[in-house]
Amino acid sequence: MSNQMVDLNRVGAKGAIAEAAEGKWGMVIDRDLCTGCQACVAACAMENNLSFVGEEDAGYGRTQHWIRIERLWEGEYPEVKMDGGFQPMLCQQCGHAPCEPVCPVFATPHSEAESINLQVYNRCIGTRYCANNCPYQVRSFNWRDYHIQPFHANLVNGQLVFPLHNQFNPDVTVRRRGVMEKCTFCIQRIHSAQDKAKSEGREVEDGEFTTACAQACPASAITFGRVDHEESLVSQLGQVSRGTKHLEELNTLPRVTYLEKG
Amino acid sequence: MSEKISRRDFLKLASVGAATTAVLTGCGPASRYVEREPYMKMPEYSYNGLSTYYATTCRECAAGCGLVVRTMQGRAIKVEGNPSNPVNLGKTCARGQATLQGLYNPDRIEGPTKQGRGSGVSPLDWDAAIQTVSEALKSNNPSEIAFLMGTGSDHVFDLASDLTNAIGAPAPVRFGALSMFESRATLSKAAENLLGQSAMPFFDLANADVVLSFGANFLETWLSPVAYTRGFAKMRRGNPKQRGYFIHFEARMSQTASKADEWIPLLPGTEGLVALAIGRLVAEAKGGAMPQAFASVDPLEVASTSGVKLETLEHIAQLIVEAQTPLAIPGGAALGQSNGLSTAEAVLALNALADNFGKPGGVFVSPLSPNEDAYHRPTSAQEMTEFIAKMKSGGIKVLFIHGVNPIFELPKSFGFAEALESVSQVISFATFPDETAIASDYIFPDHHGLESWGYQRVATGTTQSVLSGLQPAVSGVYDPNTNELLYNARGTADVLIAAAQLAGGKSAESLPFKDEVEFIQSKLANLIGETDGSFVAPEINTFSAYFQQHGGWWKKTAELATPSASSVLSKSVKVEAAQFAGEGEFFFLPFVSPTLAEAGANKPWLQELPDPTTTVMWNTWVEMNPETAHELGVTNDDVVEITSEAGVVKAAVYLYPAIHPGVIAMPFGQGHTAYGRYATSLGTSEKFMELVPTSQYVNGGKVSPRGANPADVLGAHFNAAGDLAFAGMKVEVKKTGETQALSRLESRIGVYGEGMGEEH
Repeated sequence: MSNQMVDLNRVGAKGAIAEAAEGKWGMVIDRDLCTGCQACVAACAMENNLSFVGEEDAGYGRTQHWIRIERLWEGEYPEVKMDGGFQPMLCQQCGHAPCEPVCPVFATPHSEAESINLQVYNRCIGTRYCANNCPYQVRSFNWRDYHIQPFHANLVNGQLVFPLHNQFNPDVTVRRRGVMEKCTFCIQRIHSAQDKAKSEGREVEDGEFTTACAQACPASAITFGRVDHEESLVSQLGQVSRGTKHLEELNTLPRVTYLEKG
Repeated sequence: MSEKISRRDFLKLASVGAATTAVLTGCGPASRYVEREPYMKMPEYSYNGLSTYYATTCRECAAGCGLVVRTMQGRAIKVEGNPSNPVNLGKTCARGQATLQGLYNPDRIEGPTKQGRGSGVSPLDWDAAIQTVSEALKSNNPSEIAFLMGTGSDHVFDLASDLTNAIGAPAPVRFGALSMFESRATLSKAAENLLGQSAMPFFDLANADVVLSFGANFLETWLSPVAYTRGFAKMRRGNPKQRGYFIHFEARMSQTASKADEWIPLLPGTEGLVALAIGRLVAEAKGGAMPQAFASVDPLEVASTSGVKLETLEHIAQLIVEAQTPLAIPGGAALGQSNGLSTAEAVLALNALADNFGKPGGVFVSPLSPNEDAYHRPTSAQEMTEFIAKMKSGGIKVLFIHGVNPIFELPKSFGFAEALESVSQVISFATFPDETAIASDYIFPDHHGLESWGYQRVATGTTQSVLSGLQPAVSGVYDPNTNELLYNARGTADVLIAAAQLAGGKSAESLPFKDEVEFIQSKLANLIGETDGSFVAPEINTFSAYFQQHGGWWKKTAELATPSASSVLSKSVKVEAAQFAGEGEFFFLPFVSPTLAEAGANKPWLQELPDPTTTVMWNTWVEMNPETAHELGVTNDDVVEITSEAGVVKAAVYLYPAIHPGVIAMPFGQGHTAYGRYATSLGTSEKFMELVPTSQYVNGGKVSPRGANPADVLGAHFNAAGDLAFAGMKVEVKKTGETQALSRLESRIGVYGEGMGEEH
């Protein structure tokens, strides 16, 4: 879509385009299509071994949603509107991520190869500085060992058996108490696609795989792919005129573009 | 292998590999069980670190979406949509994703049980279970045997139908809360009255440019939500030149309404009048003779009764006049009224006026599923009252229940639980210890959907005729310490076949099958010669192997039937004023929880999904306009008591800015008194970290209900098609003085002055 001009005001400060172009993976979310159905949230939970925290902890805001659906009201009855529709919010995989420099143990480094933010669970010591510094509020902390609470177990022949553990995705680490976590752009899927491509002596194609949220989305509101390929769907969608990036005035260089109703 | 390979191709190749193996081994009963073995003894086709994928069908509702289940070392670890199934084309909803938490639910029934209606629970073995079923079939008068089944599991329904037909017992009754809240009987009756055939209408949302929805919550649970969401996305952005415009009429802003460009709140029960008024204005604008259907309606009068301004009606009529392919959809609470049937007819008449019958973006008749003779709708709520009356009168001696939880799903006022006491023997095939199962004499647990064989007929949602197929993705759930089966379930079809053969006589003759798979094959056999199918196969073994590999069988081309529109407009449609039961001040509007639906409450991740519009998790709330709440002196988290003529229910208030001030709304899906640890509540968070023996949940023990069930206040009032007038109740609302903090995802700071200090 070369005939569409890239709006410099949209991609951020000078130099941002170069930085954005270096990124490999990106996402476009069409808020006009998102129906708020939560399929992405459930799909993410199933793919990434997220723990559920129960009613009370959920009330304290301790839910482990790597992606959440925000909805914003505007106006008073009967002229009340849901401003612009639902807004799925997840880690924006910032180019200049505010969470990264504040970590004292380098548990959330920037991947040079993938240009996404990593979270290294076995380095994390749970200072929660990163979560405090994240302007998008997308990081979640393991306040307890949710997965292994006896409540979820049955006593079988004197032993605790957790049937729900059978569902764990073996490609994803199960996190313990005291560890921060966040959306990884399904890095296990990126890696398996890369391994496969490498064994066949080629590059990973756009559309060869997608993230769990994009795969489930019944409205196809989420598009994931290679932003460094100009012809990829995600690159083309990212340049349409109703695209915006959240809090880009902070110069975070988010890798997720939102398409507004327009 | 080609240079470029997509994930989809990979799946295809993987499944071709699996299917080839199946064909080579003949795919007879010997190869029927998918092995799920401990690490040291893995299936021969399983490689360390590599996944095996199985195509099957989702059982979380009756829509019949195709799934591809990723398994590794015999465990199902992720479900994805089946990209080639025409219903969902690779997409899933949240409930489909969470189906794994049903498979691995810690509260599944551990094996065949003599339940004794909760008095004395003792385990049985399967031989004794089959003996029991066989005795029940043999020693009772056939007319006193009854099957009550859910809307899923079509193959079990077909098997039970063949059995009851052969022995002269009444045909199985199918019921589900979803079909009750979807008003399926009303839709098919309206189609019969206006289009001349009882059928499930199909609304071609994808190709419409202006859509009016009269209460149809098609983005939530209505009929086939994934298919309709796909249609919605196409309507919105499928045409690059024009964005589809969507208007929704409902007293509260539902999740579907929140996606509308215009949400028009109106008084419950006036939807049909509004449809007629719009029709009249459209007909006037178009000129010519006024169709009989709209002749008697006065838009000005409708504006005053419904609360929708005349200018709004005129503006909407203008939009329709200018539209290329306008579409009007009736559904949900609009049909759950005493005048629901005429409302559905009025909305169909609006489509007739737009002349969109059988045209892209218009109304069609859904194609019948491949092995279906005619459209059979589920039992309506009114017919359920007749069934319950028969139970009460002692006309039913043995009752088999499969795939449905009527004690929870039916309004309490119907008295199903009490009627159950008049039935001598109740045999449940439930997978989970739900309210009905624990009130039964025996529980013979069926497999979870991901362990099951079967097929599901697709009633609507796609233009193609589809039969979705099920196959086991796992063979069971095992104890990692002992490698023994944790949940000793058995396919209900297998149990019935074995029991029928043991009973001998006509029962045995009707089911001359070795097992469930052979029965399913007998039902697929007539598809072998069919043309235009998704695959062809010369004989049954190959056919069933492909059936498993593809996840079903469907026609390649669209088979939508065009209803005749000619006579619709010449019929007079009269929408009478809705009747409301009770003397209360408020209209009561129950709606199905979009994330939980009727059976999701035992899956913890569904509990923790925030409701799309309120963001409440793990509980039940009452939606109330802030103005109304102010007048009642209640605010967020204040527990109110809702009283109707039929009952009382208590829940915490949620100040909802987008609801008619005269209406209060409540989600259906919570309020379980059984159904496992996640569906019920222990009360305190400390308990959430304790081990609580399963028996305490199964027997009610020390648990209390989680949330509340709005069906407790619904009375037995019906529309002309026999569907429950669930939105036709008036209720009293009383402050109780108690509070209950609702867990929400949204922040409450600054909302309605909360957390802002006293001066705000």
